[in-house]
Amino acid sequence: MLVVVANRCDATAEALVHCWRANDAHLLSCEDLSRPGWRHCLGDPGVSTAVIGSRLVGIEKITGVLSLLPCVTADRLSHILPEDRAYVAAEMMAFLVSWLSELACPVLNRPTPACLMGPNWGSAQWVHAAALAGISVRPIRRRVVLAADPLPELSEIEPATVTLVGDRCFGDVDRTLAMKARRLAAVAGVDMVAIHFDSPEADARLLGADLRPNISSPEIADAILETLERSRRC
Amino acid sequence: MLTLLWGLGSEGPLAAVLRELDRLGAPTSLIDQREVLDTEIELDIAAKVGGTVRTRDQVVDLAEVTACYLRPYDWQDLSAVTLAGQNSSAWHHAAAIHEALTCWSEITSGLVVNRLAAMAGNGSKPYQLAQIGRFGFRVPETIVTTDPDAARAFWEQHGSVIYKSVSAVRSRVSRLEAEHFERLGDVAWCPTQFQRYIAGMDYRVHVVGAEVFACEVRSEADDYRYPGAHRVEIKACRVPWEVEDRCRRLTAAMQLFLAGIDLRRSHPDGEWYCFEVNPSPGFTYYENTTGLPIANAIARLLAAGTNGLRHTSG
Repeated sequence: MLVVVANRCDATAEALVHCWRANDAHLLSCEDLSRPGWRHCLGDPGVSTAVIGSRLVGIEKITGVLSLLPCVTADRLSHILPEDRAYVAAEMMAFLVSWLSELACPVLNRPTPACLMGPNWGSAQWVHAAALAGISVRPIRRRVVLAADPLPELSEIEPATVTLVGDRCFGDVDRTLAMKARRLAAVAGVDMVAIHFDSPEADARLLGADLRPNISSPEIADAILETLERSRRC
Repeated sequence: MLTLLWGLGSEGPLAAVLRELDRLGAPTSLIDQREVLDTEIELDIAAKVGGTVRTRDQVVDLAEVTACYLRPYDWQDLSAVTLAGQNSSAWHHAAAIHEALTCWSEITSGLVVNRLAAMAGNGSKPYQLAQIGRFGFRVPETIVTTDPDAARAFWEQHGSVIYKSVSAVRSRVSRLEAEHFERLGDVAWCPTQFQRYIAGMDYRVHVVGAEVFACEVRSEADDYRYPGAHRVEIKACRVPWEVEDRCRRLTAAMQLFLAGIDLRRSHPDGEWYCFEVNPSPGFTYYENTTGLPIANAIARLLAAGTNGLRHTSG
């Protein structure tokens, strides 16, 4: 079974699950965490069970997980009493961090305690990490002043994007950028990431990155599927 | 060499560290969250991270900061922000200040006690417990479940069981009693954590860089931080060197420079259990009772900056 962790209203995630139905793909949403059947036994995965898309499954049946949910937020928990939503959201988030971290199957990307999709980095951290790795970047300037005019916006740039999924690489860019993207992904410890540059040329400057690539692209979706299924074949 | 403190200036641990830094004569700046509406920040980020923080009475050059102690409270609870209300310019400003300082603290090359990314592990108790278990400490048998039958079976298997939050929110330990039996059905709404109760003596070990400060805690309460009518007795002590060493290695592996580690030595078998590593400990509760010089150790660590690190590698 493949599991896609996402909000129930995430139409792109739902379309992906539909597309992968022949691969036994199912959506895991926060609503599933409010159904009896979860048993997360620390250090004893053999007796652990999950509730995926309303059905009870043994953990050993799960062969791969795609995480498209950065965190659990109270506003998605309409089935919980309003006064309890913030608390329940924190509990569900904490639970998923532990549960996803303990899975033996491939998880794209492995969660960190602050983000279920990988490192909880904003553009400043991506830019800083890239610069330290010797990658040319567009510096970030930020000013926070109460009631002041914002800094002039940097000119809008249509980014050139390199998408990495496992050992596959997508994007119509100079191959030097693909190598730089791979270096940054290694620094960040992620297997799936979309990295944005200000041009497709070799001397392009890095703008930032997203842990959620364009999963509507059939070739990227296929690469994700291939990465998740690879361990099953090994 | 400049040490930056961020939080509420009157809050116990922050005030204690500020006092000790002052005593050491170490240059220090406090960014008091209560002045958030009078705080301005500029950041410049590439390979180097620079910028300035301006408050009513100071301008801090962030490039000068060699160490930082973080104790930020939820900005939404600051009275000036609450009074201004949601979606006010004050609300957005406070959020932006918090975000900017958080961002800076994650990437500055100075010593940060502790970085938020390193502290985040404490937000998921079972995640952290799995980390702890890899460092030679015993951890209690644990189940997180939405299944009332599984909770009952766990209770019957272990006889005495506690429950506590999975996250760091409302983190309070309670013993599962017979009167809870009917309420067990509520676990279906949200994963709930149950652990085998471990009888024994509590220890709180503070690790500050390479220094270790231990105290023993005697109390009949399920959670001595909320003792109710029970007495709580705290005394400075030594723990065996191998336990000290394990605490140091665990702290270093979690990329923390300060930690408050909750241990229990089980009775009657004498095993050392670890329940939790608190990355932002309210150490003054223990220091005020025992006289252990924890604030002074933190101040010395900060004053030395990254030059003073003697971390045991994990």
